[in-house]
Amino acid sequence: MKAGFYLLLYCATLHAQWVNLPIPGTPRTPDGKPNLSAPAPRTADGKPDLSGLWGVNPGNYGANIAADLKPEETQPWAADLVKQRSVNMGRDQPSAVGCLPHGPSVNTISFLMQKFIQTPNVLVILLEELNYRQIHLDGRALPKNPDPSFMGYSVGRWEGDTLVAESTGFKDSIWLDLAGHPITDSLRITERFHRLDFGHMEIAETIDDPKTFKRPFTVVIKLELVPDSEILEFVCAENEKDREHMVGKPSDPTPAAAKVAPAVLSRYVGSYEFAYPENPTVTGTYNITMSEGALFIDTEGKARTALIPVADTVLYWRDARLEFFEDSQGKVTHFVRVGSAGDLRYTRKPDRK
Amino acid sequence: MSFQIKTLRTVLFALLVSTPVPAQWFNQPDPRIPLTKDGKPDLTAKAPRAPDGHPDLSGVWIRREGESTPPRYNDKGLAFTLSWFMPKNAEIPLRPAAAAIFKEREARDGGGRPPERCLPYGVPSAMLPPDPFKIVQTPGLTLILYEEMVDFRQIFTDGRKHPKSPNPAWYGYSVGKWVGETFEVETVGFNDQAWLDGLGLPHSEELRLTERFQRPTTGHLQMEATIDDPKMYTKPWTFKIDFNVIPDADLIENVCENEKDAIHQVAK
Repeated sequence: MKAGFYLLLYCATLHAQWVNLPIPGTPRTPDGKPNLSAPAPRTADGKPDLSGLWGVNPGNYGANIAADLKPEETQPWAADLVKQRSVNMGRDQPSAVGCLPHGPSVNTISFLMQKFIQTPNVLVILLEELNYRQIHLDGRALPKNPDPSFMGYSVGRWEGDTLVAESTGFKDSIWLDLAGHPITDSLRITERFHRLDFGHMEIAETIDDPKTFKRPFTVVIKLELVPDSEILEFVCAENEKDREHMVGKPSDPTPAAAKVAPAVLSRYVGSYEFAYPENPTVTGTYNITMSEGALFIDTEGKARTALIPVADTVLYWRDARLEFFEDSQGKVTHFVRVGSAGDLRYTRKPDRK
Repeated sequence: MSFQIKTLRTVLFALLVSTPVPAQWFNQPDPRIPLTKDGKPDLTAKAPRAPDGHPDLSGVWIRREGESTPPRYNDKGLAFTLSWFMPKNAEIPLRPAAAAIFKEREARDGGGRPPERCLPYGVPSAMLPPDPFKIVQTPGLTLILYEEMVDFRQIFTDGRKHPKSPNPAWYGYSVGKWVGETFEVETVGFNDQAWLDGLGLPHSEELRLTERFQRPTTGHLQMEATIDDPKMYTKPWTFKIDFNVIPDADLIENVCENEKDAIHQVAK
C-alpha cells in the first residue's frame, strides 16, 4: 500500500540530463537523429563494444527481482525479512535513507543510468550516484577471498558476442532489490550482456544464493541507450532528507471519511496531467470518475482506486493526501499531492465535449 | 590545549585513518608495465604509449610521500594543505574574504570539511591524501576512479567544449587535450561546497582549474595545476604534485559508510 507511494517518491528523484550533446560515433538517420537500430558497434579487436549511456528498464523485476519465483522457493528467513522490510516501508532501505551504494540492485533500478566504458582490460560502469564498478576483462580469476564490497568483484569473458561477467564478494548490508531481498556472502551473480543493436542491450542476470533462494534463477533486463546525453553528478549525502519524513506504517488508519455532498465531489471529475518536475517530458494522465456518488481515480485507465473525501477539498488516494484548487470562477484547476519529497501538481486538462 | 590530549588525539586519529587504506589486490600483472630482466616492473622505463601514440597515463597511482615530499598526515591530524605542494615561501594570493574563510577553517584544523559528512572531496582535494586512484585512458574519454568514496571524474577528450551553463558539481566538468607529451585538462562548472584542500582553501563557482599531467617514466606521474578563481584569489597560482604507480594492483572499494567519525572528533 504505502510501499507504492514510497516507490513513487523514490522514482521521482533523478533523470534530468544534459540535453542535445551530440556524441561522436553515434550512427544517424538522414535527418540527423540517432539511429538506434543500427548494428552494435565493435571494438578494434572485433568484440562488441558495450560502451554508451544506458537506461535500465527492469520491468516487473524493478519492484522484486524474484518476481518469477514461487513463494516457497525463497528461504523462510529471507521471506520473513522481506515481509518485515515491507512493513518498515523503506525506512531501513540503506541506499535511500543511508546513502549507501545500490550495489548489485543497480540493474533493476530504473532511475539510475549506467555509463559503460569498455577497454580491452576492463569494463568500467559509471553510475549516476557518483559511484562505479569495474568488470575486469584481462583474464584474471575471481579472487578466492575477496574483501566484501557493495559492488562485488567482477571478472568477465567473451562467449561469442556475449560478455559473461561473474561477480562475488558482496557486502550483506544492502538489499538485492527494492523489495528488500537480502544479500549474503554466498551470493554469486552471473550477468550475460548482449548488445542487440546500437540502441538496445539485454542482461540475462542469474542470481545464485542458496542461503536466500532455494534455486538459482535468471531474469532478463532490458537496457535502452540514452543518446546524445551524459550522466549528471548525484550525491545522495548532500540531500538525505527522506528519513525524518518516513514515519507511517501500513496498518495506520486512513483519516476518517467525511460526508461530502455528491454535487461538490462531481466538480473534481475530469482528466489531470502530471509531469515529473525533474523531467517534464515524462507525463501521465490521471482520470477522476464518479460512480454511485463515490469518486475513483485511475492511471491511464489502470489501477482504479477509490478516493476518500475527508473534507470538501481534501481527498485521500490510498495514503496520499490530495488537495483540490479552483479558480475565481469556481472551476477546479488542479490538485496537489502532498508528499515528503515536495508537493506534486496534477493539472486539469480541458474537458472534451 | 593540553599536550596529552593533543598527542592522544593524534595517535587515535592516526589509528583511525591508517587502517583501511594500504591493502591492495596484489599480483595482477599489468601487461602494459615494462619488466626488468628479472621480471619485476621496470618503473624507470619510458612511459607506455596508447595506440594513438600519446603517453598512456592508465594505471593505479598514489601520491608520493617521503622525506622531501609531504608526510602522510600533518602534525595536527589529517588535514592536507596545498601549500606543501608549492615552492618554498610561495604565497597563496587569497582575497580578504577568502582569507577570512580559510582562517576560520584552519583554526579548526580543517574540521567541517565535506568528506567528514561523506560528501565528495572534489578536486584537487581528492588528489592530496595518499590514497590510490586509477586512470583509465580511452579514446575520447579519460576516467579517474578514486578509491576513497568510490568517486570518479570524467575528462572528455572527444573535442567537446565546456557546456555554457554546466550544473554546478563537486567534480566540475572537465575537457582534456594533448599538448605534446602533456595531457592538459581544463575544468569548470564547480559548486562552491568543496574545499581545495584539507585545511579549507575555498573556491567559488568561478573556479577554473587547469591540470597538466605528464608521465616521464613508467613509475612516475606529475601533475602541475593552476587555480584561477578571481572571486577568491587575486591572481592564478600553481602547485605541483608527484604520484607513484602501484604496479599490478587495483582499487579496493572504500565507501563512506557510517558517518560516525565527526561526532568523535571533539578535541581542539
